[in-house]
Amino acid sequence: DRQTLVAVLQFLRRSNLRESEEILRREARLLGDDLGAAALSPAGAGLLGAPGGDADAAGGEALLSRVTTAAATAIGGSAATLLLYSNGFAVGGGVAVEDQPDVSAVLSAYNQQGDPTLYEEYYSGLKHFIECSLDCHRAELSQLFYPLFVHMYLELVYNQHESEAKSFFERFHGDQECYYQDDLRVLSSLTKKEHMKGNETMLDFRTSKFVLRISRDSYQLLKRHLQEKQNNQIWNIVQEHLYIDIFDGMPRSKQQIDAMVGSLAGEAKREANKAKVFFGLLKEPEFDVPLDDEDEEGENEEGKPKKKKPKKDSGGSKSKKQDPNAPPQNRIPLPELKDSDKLDKVMNMKEAARRVRLGPECLPSICFYTFLNAYQGLTAVDITDDSSMIVGGFADSTVRVWSVTPKKLRSVKTAADLSLIDKESDDVLERIMDEKTASELKILYGHSGPVYGTSFSPDRNYLLSCSEDGTVRLWSLQTFTCLVGYKGHNYPVWDTQFSPYGYYFVSGGHDRVARLWATDHYQPLRIFAGHLADVTCTRFHPNSNYIATGSADRTVRLWDVLNGNCVRIFTGHKGPIHSLAFSPNGRFLATGATDGRVLLWDIGHGLMVGELKGHTDTVYALRFSRDGEILASGSMDNTVRLWDAVKAFEDLETDDFTTATGHINLPENSQDLLLGTYMTKSTPVVHLHFTRRNLLLAAGAYSSQ
Amino acid sequence: MEPAKMASPKSAPKDAQVMAQILKDMGITEYEPRVINQMLEFTYRYVTTILEDAKIYSGHAKKSNVDADDVRLAIQCRTDQSFTSPPPRDFLLDIARQKNQTPLPLIKPYSGPRLPPDRYCLTAPNYRLKSLQKKVSSSAGRITVPRLSVGAVSSRPSTPTLGAPAAQAVSMSAKVGTPVSLAGQRFTVQIPSSQAAVKSATPTTPTVQNVLINPSLIGPKNILITTNMVSSQNPSNESNPLKRKHEDDDDYDNL
Repeated sequence: DRQTLVAVLQFLRRSNLRESEEILRREARLLGDDLGAAALSPAGAGLLGAPGGDADAAGGEALLSRVTTAAATAIGGSAATLLLYSNGFAVGGGVAVEDQPDVSAVLSAYNQQGDPTLYEEYYSGLKHFIECSLDCHRAELSQLFYPLFVHMYLELVYNQHESEAKSFFERFHGDQECYYQDDLRVLSSLTKKEHMKGNETMLDFRTSKFVLRISRDSYQLLKRHLQEKQNNQIWNIVQEHLYIDIFDGMPRSKQQIDAMVGSLAGEAKREANKAKVFFGLLKEPEFDVPLDDEDEEGENEEGKPKKKKPKKDSGGSKSKKQDPNAPPQNRIPLPELKDSDKLDKVMNMKEAARRVRLGPECLPSICFYTFLNAYQGLTAVDITDDSSMIVGGFADSTVRVWSVTPKKLRSVKTAADLSLIDKESDDVLERIMDEKTASELKILYGHSGPVYGTSFSPDRNYLLSCSEDGTVRLWSLQTFTCLVGYKGHNYPVWDTQFSPYGYYFVSGGHDRVARLWATDHYQPLRIFAGHLADVTCTRFHPNSNYIATGSADRTVRLWDVLNGNCVRIFTGHKGPIHSLAFSPNGRFLATGATDGRVLLWDIGHGLMVGELKGHTDTVYALRFSRDGEILASGSMDNTVRLWDAVKAFEDLETDDFTTATGHINLPENSQDLLLGTYMTKSTPVVHLHFTRRNLLLAAGAYSSQ
Repeated sequence: MEPAKMASPKSAPKDAQVMAQILKDMGITEYEPRVINQMLEFTYRYVTTILEDAKIYSGHAKKSNVDADDVRLAIQCRTDQSFTSPPPRDFLLDIARQKNQTPLPLIKPYSGPRLPPDRYCLTAPNYRLKSLQKKVSSSAGRITVPRLSVGAVSSRPSTPTLGAPAAQAVSMSAKVGTPVSLAGQRFTVQIPSSQAAVKSATPTTPTVQNVLINPSLIGPKNILITTNMVSSQNPSNESNPLKRKHEDDDDYDNL
């Protein structure tokens, strides 16, 4: 008779007999302690399912929910937790009853909005309306189809109306955009409520709001239509699961919209991209450069060569104003410059002087390193900054380091022998090396799963590798042994990278977070959580203050190292992102994904500024040339393409309207920007690297099909 | 090892055909033929595990047949064990918030290789040297001491050698009686593993680490004794089978 009580309440509510409902509820509360939580939760869901479009019902819902929670606490902790558990994974911003946010948050995000058999009617009604609307509004309103379809389908599945869910899916899944087909395939396999429990991505999708950007006119049109009596259900769903970011201005065209949508969570809200980002570079420390010719030029932070007299050491930097876009030098603690680092910088500057200036007339030569006999096992490649060593991570869990130059790899002598050498001699760094161990290849064993990411440290002393076994390992390149295993991700780690200054490194994996570590801490320093699906690619900004992560949820996020906040969200890719590259001046980001497009982003304004179409398969490697003139992209379609970066970034329209609304008008200039396409012999390109003199090195494993 | 198109269903057993159809439904069009076998194996293993568990649960509940509830319970328990999924989003956001509140630690300058504390590193030796008990040698006159060999220039420091305290080396050389002139020559104490047990060599240092004898300790005699991490110390004495058997019993003695 609990059920009958609850059913009576439901009936009274449906017939809008408010007062009698109140009385009955109050009396029911007195019997409170035998209202089982289990009986309550489906009943509660059913009760709330009554049409709740108007404010009154919202008040009623709140009251009932208070009854629910009161009864739950009266019953006892275990029952209450049972109730909360069944609603537990719907916590978090899912419900949109605006005036009762705190209470509603406790309840399930999937109330029964009306009769399940009528869902198809609602959807086709909306479809009809949108198709009959004006052309200028139609493109924007069509954005509603996909999120509504998915949420309605998931609601039917969650409330266990399997047959209705199946027929709903059958009827409407063909109407969705082509770039959602992968998601829809996953969705088609979710037919029961139990299937949803293990799928974290789907759960996140349910609880987070899908963001849509619609102009005010289109929104008014939609709202007017949906608030009519018969369309109330859809209005509820829209309010509950969608976040509509309204902007004033012209509605967007289909092309503009298509460029920006595609991610699992819709687009990015405008506020998400408004935080200030310090994208400038840190000042290079000035120090005396031993000159061997008079025209040696030092570099300042903009990369413009500056004439510097050898006597002065910091005079030059004082005259330059602090770049307003550069972070303060001590914003994040960075390791000090050791003598070996200074020597390295001197070498760098000398090489920079001999660097080839690239441009559309002067394309780089490309030297391709092919890994033979890898049998599709090559999963990660990295090359040191001075191009002296190359490392390959393999599916058989080994990490192999090769020397690219004629100088072989040596390990340090044993402790016993080290005591014999003369420590005061000039070439002590040579003497500590053991000649007997010289070889071109060193194999490092230690991981217990395929190695998915590798990264050399800038000082070439350490090597990082991350693997499917969930650990990130730090190897010493002086003894060729493993030093530390960093455990934190308990799931495959897809990518890792050292900071450009060393000491910090970032890793991203299947658990949907990226972690920032320091080599001397066994636990991560920062955790960057926010992605809805695996983090597949992680890169540091050249000033080491920001980290970009690309994910399988098709967004790219930029995180601040100092406080772990997400400062930018870039949507627009239609597939998981596999490569990221920052431009050397720190202002732009290039991203490549499985959809074969390379997108260019302006970090400061948070806008997409370019789209490079040409590749036909996943873009696995992206790299800017040393001065940022050329962008090289390597892909699974066995080609390396060179793009004109200078032209792509010049004359950006950044007037107020663009920045305010985030509208972009991308020119269709991919063909103009493409400087060259270079095919390999059935070797997908996995890594690209510009040497200090702007020679392009590429790496991949020969695959014989 | 080339990925094949879908395997021909004509001669495949029904299970394999079903599996191929499932793969097709999930949108996987290119796969090696072994994939079907692996998936079938997994299916078989999973189903039998669940059914066995279900049988146990129904037996525990004193039921005569296995019914759906038992199977459901079995599935639920196994899911929590084997198919763990990453933590939910709100949990991650929570721990991220906690972790991100602490400021980044300052970096101490000039602190050498920056590694975590030793117990979190993998740099410790992964073996232990056995401690040796002083055993009274039954056979008198047996050389149970490291043999001193005069090898000045030819002694290479990298040969595996075992170190012994300097004083003992000197005294032992006296015991051995080998006419050795120690002045002004460099010696390497070599202990061939096939020979005498070196138990007595280390009564004072029960655990021999990589002891590096400072030449200054040795004094004017300039005997350099080197040790090596890869120790060739092998207490078992091949020439005396009895003794070796004794050693084997002590393999896991207290250290």
